[in-house]
Amino acid sequence: MKIEPRFPDPITQEERELLERRASRLREKPRAQEEESVLWAAEFPVGEDSYALPLEALRAAVPLKMVTPVPLSPPHVIGILRFQGQILTAMSLSSLLGGRGWREDPAVLLVVDPGLGGRLLALDCERIPKPVPLPHALVEEARARSTGAVAEVTLPGLHQVNLLELRRLMDRRTSEKRDA
Amino acid sequence: MLDPMMEQLLPGFIDECKEIVERLTEHLIELEKAHDQPRFDDLARGLHTLKGSAATLGLGEVSDLAHKMEDAVLPLRGRNAALPGAITDALLKTLDIFMEHLRATTAKSGLPDLAPSYKLLESVRHAVQAVDPGKAAANNGKPAREKKDKGKENEEDGDKEKPKEKKSAKRETRAAAPQPAAPEPAEEETGAAEEAGSWRVRTREVIALLHEVERLREVRLRLEERRREMERASSHLARLGMLAETAEVRALLMGVQRAIGADGEEAGDIVASMEDELKAICTLPVRTVLEPLRRSVRDLCKQSGKQARLSIVGGEVSLDRRVLESLRGPLVHLVRNAVDHGLEQPDIREARGKHREGIIVVRVEQQGNMLFIEVSDDGNGLDLALIKQAARDLSIVPGAELDAMTPAQLHQLIFRNGFSTRRGNVTSVSGRGVGMDVVRNQMQSLQGHIEVQSTPGQGTRFTLTLPAELGSSPVLVVRCGEHELGIPMPAVETSLLARPAELRVMRTRVQLAHREQLITVQDLGALLALRQPEVPHDGQPLLVLQSQGRRIALAVDEVIGDRELVIRPLPPEVRDLSAYQGAATLARGELVLIVRPDWLSGFEKRDVLTGTRRALVVDDSLTARALHRTALEAAGYSVHTASSGKQALEQLRHSSYDVMVSDIGMDEMDGFELTLEARRRSEFDAMPIILVSARDSDADRQRGAASGADGFLSKKDCASGRLLAEVQAVISRRQGAA
Repeated sequence: MKIEPRFPDPITQEERELLERRASRLREKPRAQEEESVLWAAEFPVGEDSYALPLEALRAAVPLKMVTPVPLSPPHVIGILRFQGQILTAMSLSSLLGGRGWREDPAVLLVVDPGLGGRLLALDCERIPKPVPLPHALVEEARARSTGAVAEVTLPGLHQVNLLELRRLMDRRTSEKRDA
Repeated sequence: MLDPMMEQLLPGFIDECKEIVERLTEHLIELEKAHDQPRFDDLARGLHTLKGSAATLGLGEVSDLAHKMEDAVLPLRGRNAALPGAITDALLKTLDIFMEHLRATTAKSGLPDLAPSYKLLESVRHAVQAVDPGKAAANNGKPAREKKDKGKENEEDGDKEKPKEKKSAKRETRAAAPQPAAPEPAEEETGAAEEAGSWRVRTREVIALLHEVERLREVRLRLEERRREMERASSHLARLGMLAETAEVRALLMGVQRAIGADGEEAGDIVASMEDELKAICTLPVRTVLEPLRRSVRDLCKQSGKQARLSIVGGEVSLDRRVLESLRGPLVHLVRNAVDHGLEQPDIREARGKHREGIIVVRVEQQGNMLFIEVSDDGNGLDLALIKQAARDLSIVPGAELDAMTPAQLHQLIFRNGFSTRRGNVTSVSGRGVGMDVVRNQMQSLQGHIEVQSTPGQGTRFTLTLPAELGSSPVLVVRCGEHELGIPMPAVETSLLARPAELRVMRTRVQLAHREQLITVQDLGALLALRQPEVPHDGQPLLVLQSQGRRIALAVDEVIGDRELVIRPLPPEVRDLSAYQGAATLARGELVLIVRPDWLSGFEKRDVLTGTRRALVVDDSLTARALHRTALEAAGYSVHTASSGKQALEQLRHSSYDVMVSDIGMDEMDGFELTLEARRRSEFDAMPIILVSARDSDADRQRGAASGADGFLSKKDCASGRLLAEVQAVISRRQGAA
């Protein structure tokens, strides 16, 4: 026995087909994305350039306030702050990258895990980052080319994202400190 | 094979036995020196408890072993003489086997052979009987004393004299511990009943709880922040002037503000009380780690023919169990090293005019939440010639460098991995060159450090300094420029106001006449490279500090007050800065740096400024200041910073600079006003000024030039090279104009 709807369907056949097509597209999208393996990254500007770090390394974005400056510290150290019961070092990313210009005074701190045994760090940032997918193939290609702490990933449309290798960035800083 | 239920009880039983065995070891060592009846009785009771508890768990073999130990000891009761060395040796060895057997039972690994222990005990028992057959026969096999009254027993055990000891021991032993032996239940039953109210809790669960308390503390701080925000909102509404229209809203806000304040206070009380409770759970007296060292010293002396006495001072200090456990290894190593490397043979000591018996002192002191442990001996001291030779042989340091090293630098070599002065003469105690390296690494992992001082022929002292997580320290909070800093109160002798009549101003230094002494005056701001050193002005606060036998008068801008603060280690990126002991959280949630008094008092030997040219960077953005500093310091400038125009003018009042780099967009006084103000003063008329702005507009450039600035840069152009080029350009232009 066919069960009739209690109320007549207000949607026309044409509308129903349109909705069905949209639904199919939505259903297909994740499948298409899965096919192309991506690295989700948090993208943010440093001056005129676009930088990113793997989203899995990002723990939080907090306002750049309640930071205590540390006199006599290396210049790339902005200060220290509390985060979830820990004391973290806040660092100037621009300074770590060798001194670059910036558009706005950073107002955000990114709390990141650089893969140093669970120890967290905070890096300053001009704006709250946005999540972007970076194709794994391009990332690997860029990483293979790079010898430093930044892998230059060129996305379709020639948009370049500088993917930060946090561990290398910190290792470089440590070795510079040791040499000094 | 153990009953599964009994097997579950085994870990608790091992903990209990470990405690008892530690106590018995202490008794044996002391009884070997001199007779002490209460101590002897406690020894007998301990053995009896081991026997009974093991039997209850069905551990027949170890129960029998304890029984044999009783057999060896009890005949000696009432002899009024020191315990024979052979008996002490046999019992100590058997206790080791007893524990080994228990551990092997838990791990289900191969059990040690007990036959040699039985044989050893039997032989010493016969030896004792041969010495005093009558007495032996009278006492054989009987417990030292029957006790029905637990209170009396405690009193006799000395528990009354050591309430903390008893409490901590109680905390360690848990409900999982077994009931005492059925045949002789009286004394242990009472003890077990006392333990019935305790639980065994996993360490990670307690640590998780500690973290939760820390989070709760943050919530409390956030509540305070919310209350202040609400206060600001109320003030803002009041400033709008529509008092009648906003009356209801303001009243509501005030009510909520009060309620949040009260909630915050209550949360604060809860946090404090939880911290106290957790502290009780998480700490143990440090003697639990130190007392077993007596056995190590005794055994090593027996092996090496040396004579040594271990003296423990401050063993009652309670420490976080995790810290204590991590300290066990380093302490064992340092004490064993003191016997093996430090102390001389008795004959040599005598020839040098020393007592035949060497002394090793372990002194524990807690100042606030900083812990100091000293391990010292009165032995030979570190042999610098031997250290040099070993370093040369091992090619650790180039020869020329080695010759130029001071004794203190040579002392540091002993902490290098693989370093040993005993190469080719490795003993079971030392010589592999790993011990001191391990000690230093362990200290670093505890966020502490180790120092060594040694005087040839007189001895060596190792000082371990580490933060004790739980506990707070009295700190004096002071202001220096825009920085608030803490100074540990124990170092502060007094505070006073500077009076020109009491200051002796010389060419290179300033001294304060204080209590018929001349004390060097140091400016905190200058020491921290925040400003140029200056002579204290009339009425400026001075703190008289004493540390490591040195005294200085420290000039600060303001004394804010004393606080009880928990000092925590700095994160690794800034931990190397010797100026700081750590950081602590103030009530508002911000961190305050705690300055090391020894760093302050030892400053005379160091230079404050490294660069020859000086730059002042003015910006309200921390990160912008860091970037300008990076660029300028890389070019050899000494950089001072200010976060506001007002602060910059204050800096300019006391110091001269080769260049000033200032942000334009700052609250209260912007960069234009600051430039105008600086130009109004004749002494800064020729100082190059560069203005920096987030906006790159012609209007700003023109306004900057009109106010007297020499250069203009947008922040996006402020890459290192560009800023430096601009700095050089404006300095050259000024010099050319002159």
